[in-house]
Amino acid sequence: MFRSFGLFTVLLMVLEWTSPGLPSPLWPICDLSALDHFIKKAQEAEAAMRSCKEECLLSVPLTVPQPSVDYNAWRKKDSQQQAQEVQSGLWLLSQALQSLKASISNAALHSHIDNSLGNIISIGQVLRSLSIPEYTPTGAGSASQDTWRVSSASTLFQVHFNFLRGKVRLLISHAAVCQQAFS
Amino acid sequence: MTYVSLAKVLAFCSFLCISKDACVEGSRELETKVKMLLRSEEENPKCFLKGTVEIFCFWEEQGEDNGTTDQYTFRFTYLGRNTTVCPVKVLSIGDGKKMYSCENSQVIWYSPLDIKVFRGEQLIYERSSLFTDQMFLLDPPGNMTLRRTAKPGQLKVTWLPPDFIDDGLLYEISYAVTGSQMGKREQVRFKTDLLLQGLQAGINYSVKARVRPQSSGFKGWWSAWTDPVTVILPNETDPLIVSMSLIISLILLLLSLSILLTHRSFLLKKLWPVIPSPESKFPDLFTVYKGDFQEWMNHNPGGMRWIPAYYYTDEPVAPLEVLSEINIGAALPSLISPHRDPQAMEADGARQLDEGDQVLNRVSPQRWSELQHEAWMLEHLRNLPLHPPPLSQSSLLESHDAYVSLNHSSQKPKDEEKAQEREGDEMEDILEESLPLQTLFAGAGTRSSTSHSDLGSLQQSSGSGRLSSQCSFEYPNQTWPPNGPNYTYMAVADSGVSMDYSPMSSSQLADTERKHKPRVIYTNELPLIHKHKHWPLTRQPTDSDCRPLGHQA
Repeated sequence: MFRSFGLFTVLLMVLEWTSPGLPSPLWPICDLSALDHFIKKAQEAEAAMRSCKEECLLSVPLTVPQPSVDYNAWRKKDSQQQAQEVQSGLWLLSQALQSLKASISNAALHSHIDNSLGNIISIGQVLRSLSIPEYTPTGAGSASQDTWRVSSASTLFQVHFNFLRGKVRLLISHAAVCQQAFS
Repeated sequence: MTYVSLAKVLAFCSFLCISKDACVEGSRELETKVKMLLRSEEENPKCFLKGTVEIFCFWEEQGEDNGTTDQYTFRFTYLGRNTTVCPVKVLSIGDGKKMYSCENSQVIWYSPLDIKVFRGEQLIYERSSLFTDQMFLLDPPGNMTLRRTAKPGQLKVTWLPPDFIDDGLLYEISYAVTGSQMGKREQVRFKTDLLLQGLQAGINYSVKARVRPQSSGFKGWWSAWTDPVTVILPNETDPLIVSMSLIISLILLLLSLSILLTHRSFLLKKLWPVIPSPESKFPDLFTVYKGDFQEWMNHNPGGMRWIPAYYYTDEPVAPLEVLSEINIGAALPSLISPHRDPQAMEADGARQLDEGDQVLNRVSPQRWSELQHEAWMLEHLRNLPLHPPPLSQSSLLESHDAYVSLNHSSQKPKDEEKAQEREGDEMEDILEESLPLQTLFAGAGTRSSTSHSDLGSLQQSSGSGRLSSQCSFEYPNQTWPPNGPNYTYMAVADSGVSMDYSPMSSSQLADTERKHKPRVIYTNELPLIHKHKHWPLTRQPTDSDCRPLGHQA
């Protein structure tokens, strides 16, 4: 089921690339089962990276989003701020994973990195279906309060896992489109 | 403490405990959660989220002299954040135990948490990489209600979810017979209602529920059970089943009635067969005479006709000896004599002989024979009930034997034959059927063994034949009146169905009496029909009756 959903999202991506002009509207994906699938994959990757100690050390620290959520503070933010925080975090994670892939030669770790990169893309499509705008942080926003600097692959995947099941899930579960559909 | 601090504390307490009930309720729930974690968690300090963003950590210590709360330091450290110190509180819970707790409302999800507890400078407890988003201990579901459905044996359980930010809650419903430890549990997710099935009517069920967060974003422990709600399902009958049952029973009833009506006569014959009643054969027997057969016999002379001849089949075989009589007069006293002793009869024979001659001279021979026969029968029948004859089968000539004596003139002395011949011609009313008998027994000694068992002569006899009969009952010792050495006898054994004839001489008779050997040479099976017109019917026939075969001349 999850593979079919992944194929579906890839298909959506292909259609978006092939069709010029305005992107076609997607049906809102309010079901959290797809996100749970990605979260589960991220947890498996984080467990696999836990055993990687010295080999997975990074020579250059990588900037990743902070996965922690102060719910009181989160609730005080508006949807746009929440969307930007999630979108920028996903972009940062994507960048960090790509840098990690370049610095690690282990083939098993590469598979986890590739899966994580694919999941991030799929999550972007889900957010797009929910009419959540994309956001690419600028160079000045990379060192914001909402980012960390990590020096190991295990920490990176841990952040990746917690970010997905945290902020991303909170954003999708409280998406305005989904709230309007169930109301 | 200064007055300002005290005022702040009081304001804080009054703010937190607006009403006494709220404070009591909150403390009760907290106490319940603390007890649950004390049972389920082993590590100290034990931490859980009271609400959404408030963490409560505690531990227990035994003893009185553990120090004050100031000696304890409780520190929270999230990854990438500064350490937070949590003030420690102490509470006595009895049995010499104290509970130290720390509450912190600055909760961060999805970030590893490190907790350290110091007593003074000593680190007593430490827990690392805790995720507060997995420490939820929610309140139990509220307002649980049970509602019957249209189908029997079903209950719909509904409840309200606890206050939580996420829909990913897992509920567990437990239902069992009230008082029983064995029950069923069902889990449901993303819903706040459940349909219970398979419940029995008339049984008191107890239902309770609990909840826990179970999703990729939030996890926690099972909450406490709700207060059980009991319900008894009433005995319901499906109206469709009831109506169908009534219709089917009505149809079966109609079918059975139709079968009974169409086969009424057949069923009556099978269930209540008609018992044959002999009332039609015995008129007035049960109506007039109230079943008194003897009385009915006395007043219904023609009824004897209906008595079948084989009525006497159970009688023992009565051999009948046919004798030829020398002197009718000599036999008459013996016939009418009531004495049973044969020896006495013989003694009186000579005396009565002269008397008999005188009587004979006054009566016509023909009528004399009739009277003789009838008198004999009357006497015989009258005496039979009072003097039941002794039964003995040792000899053909024993007590129940019937004897028929023949008027055998050829064996008599010539002078006697002449004297009687004049009387015999007038008396003679020998039918053609009786001639063969006389012919058979003509001469002395033995005779041929031919016989005729035609009883038509008996039927048509008017009592004037040459045969006379003697009832052996009068001779219990089976002695026979002396008829001469050359007298020929024929023993007839009558079983009611067949008659066995065996010619015998006087010498053979003596031998038979000595040896008690019945001699049956030939048999002739014919129904013995007693239809003699002059058969005196003075009593009911019995098994011991003699059946005379011959007739007198």
